[in-house]
Amino acid sequence: MGLELKIDNLVKRYGTRELFHIEQLRVQEGQSLHLKGENGVGKTTLMKIMAGLEKPCSGRVSVTPSHRRWWSDRLHPEVIYLHQTPYVFMSKVVDNVAYGLKLRKGNRHEVKSKVQQALAWARLEHLAEQPAYSLSGGERQRLALARAWILAPRLLFLDEPTANLDRHSVTTVAELVRQLLEQGTTIMVSSHQSNSVTDLCTRHLQLEHGALHEIESLTQVKRYAQH
Amino acid sequence: MEMSLLDTCIDAIKLLFSGNTELWSIIWVSFCVSITAILISAVPAILVGFLLAMVDFPGRWMVIALFNALMAIPTVVVGLTLYLMLSRSGPFGELHLLFSQPAMVIGQVLLCFPVLVCMSHAAFQGIDRRAWETARTLGAHCGRAALTIACEARFALLAAMLAGFSRIISEVGCSMMVGGNILGYTRNIPTAIALETSKGEFSQGVALGLVLLMLALVLNFTLASVRGKGQLI
Repeated sequence: MGLELKIDNLVKRYGTRELFHIEQLRVQEGQSLHLKGENGVGKTTLMKIMAGLEKPCSGRVSVTPSHRRWWSDRLHPEVIYLHQTPYVFMSKVVDNVAYGLKLRKGNRHEVKSKVQQALAWARLEHLAEQPAYSLSGGERQRLALARAWILAPRLLFLDEPTANLDRHSVTTVAELVRQLLEQGTTIMVSSHQSNSVTDLCTRHLQLEHGALHEIESLTQVKRYAQH
Repeated sequence: MEMSLLDTCIDAIKLLFSGNTELWSIIWVSFCVSITAILISAVPAILVGFLLAMVDFPGRWMVIALFNALMAIPTVVVGLTLYLMLSRSGPFGELHLLFSQPAMVIGQVLLCFPVLVCMSHAAFQGIDRRAWETARTLGAHCGRAALTIACEARFALLAAMLAGFSRIISEVGCSMMVGGNILGYTRNIPTAIALETSKGEFSQGVALGLVLLMLALVLNFTLASVRGKGQLI
C-alpha cells in the first residue's frame, strides 16, 4: 500500500499570532515537493509538524498506512526530518550513521555491512573513524542523508539542505537526493530559493501569508523564483 | 613542647602508611557512606534535571529556584531537621536510625540531591534541542532519546556527580548530628578531623585531610583526562 500524507485544517499559533492555517494537503508516495516561502513564514515548523516532532494547535496530520508505536502516535517510523544544520552526535561518523539502525536491528554483522554501504553511498568512507563534530557543513549534510538513507524512509523532509553550502557540496547533496527519489522515497524540500535540489521537485508549494498554495504552472514557478 | 607544622605533616604521613586500623576504618566509613549516598541519588536527580530541562509545565521556574536554594542550605540545618525526624519523639523515631550509617546516608542524599539536580539541569539545558529531535526522528523512543541526550551531556553530568560527591565527602554538620561520631561505625573523615583537632591531636587530622586532598586531586584529574584538554569543539 502506498504511503500518503494528509493534512486537514492545520493551525499553528504562537500566542495570539497565527503562523499558518492550512486547509488541506495531500502527498502521495514517490512525489517530490518543494516548499517555498520567505524566512519566518513557518516552513520549518510546518515540516516538523508533518514529521511528528511538533504539535499543531489544531488540525490533523496523518500518514497512512500508520505504524503506531506505544510511545508515540505522532512519529511515524518511515518518516524522517533532517534539520537545516544537521545535529551530529558526539561520536565517530560511523556511530552516527549506525544510530538509527542499531535501534531497529540487533544483528551486528547486518548493521556493520549496512553502515559501510551508507558511508559509501554518502562518500564518507574515508571519514568513518573521524569524530563527527570535525566534519564540514557539506559533510554533515551528507552524514545526515546517510543516517536517513540507512533506514530506508518512505517520506523524507529536508529543511533547507543546501543553505550555507558551496556549489560543489550542493551538487553532491542534489545527487544524493536524486538517488533517494529514484529509490521511491517521497521527498519534501524547504528552501526560500531555487537550486539544484529544488529543481528535482515536481510539485511546488508556496507558504505565504499563513496559507499554503500550490504553484501549478511553470510560469508561476519561475515568477515565484524571481521574488 | 609544641610540634612544628612540618613535624605534624611528617607524623601524618607516617600514620597513613603505618596501617593504623583506626585511621583506615574512618576512611572506610567515609567512603562507604558517601558512595552509597551518591549512588542512591544520582539516577533520580539526573532524571529530575532532565525533566526540568525538557518538559515545560506551570511553575517550572519555581521548582528550579527551589532546588537552587536547597543547594546552598547549610549542612547543619539538614542535620538538625533529620535529627528531629529520626529522634525518638520524631515521626520516624520508631525506625531507630539515629546515630547510624543509614541516617548519615539519608542526610548525604538530601545534601547532594539538589546539587545533582541543578547541575544536571544546567548540563541538559546546554544540549541543543536538535539532538532530541534527531534521536526521535531516527526512531528512538523517549527513554532511548533521553539516554542519548545524557550521553551527549556525559562530561557535564560527570562533573555534576563530582560536585555532589565533593559536597558530601567533606561535610561535617549533618554527619556529626545524625551519625554521632561513633568510632568504627559512624566516624568519618570530616567528623574525625573536627574531633582530633579539638583534642589537639593534629597528626591524625592532617593525615585525614591529606586523604581528602588526594581524593579531590584524583577525581579532578580523572575528570580532566576523560573530557580531553578542555578545548571547544
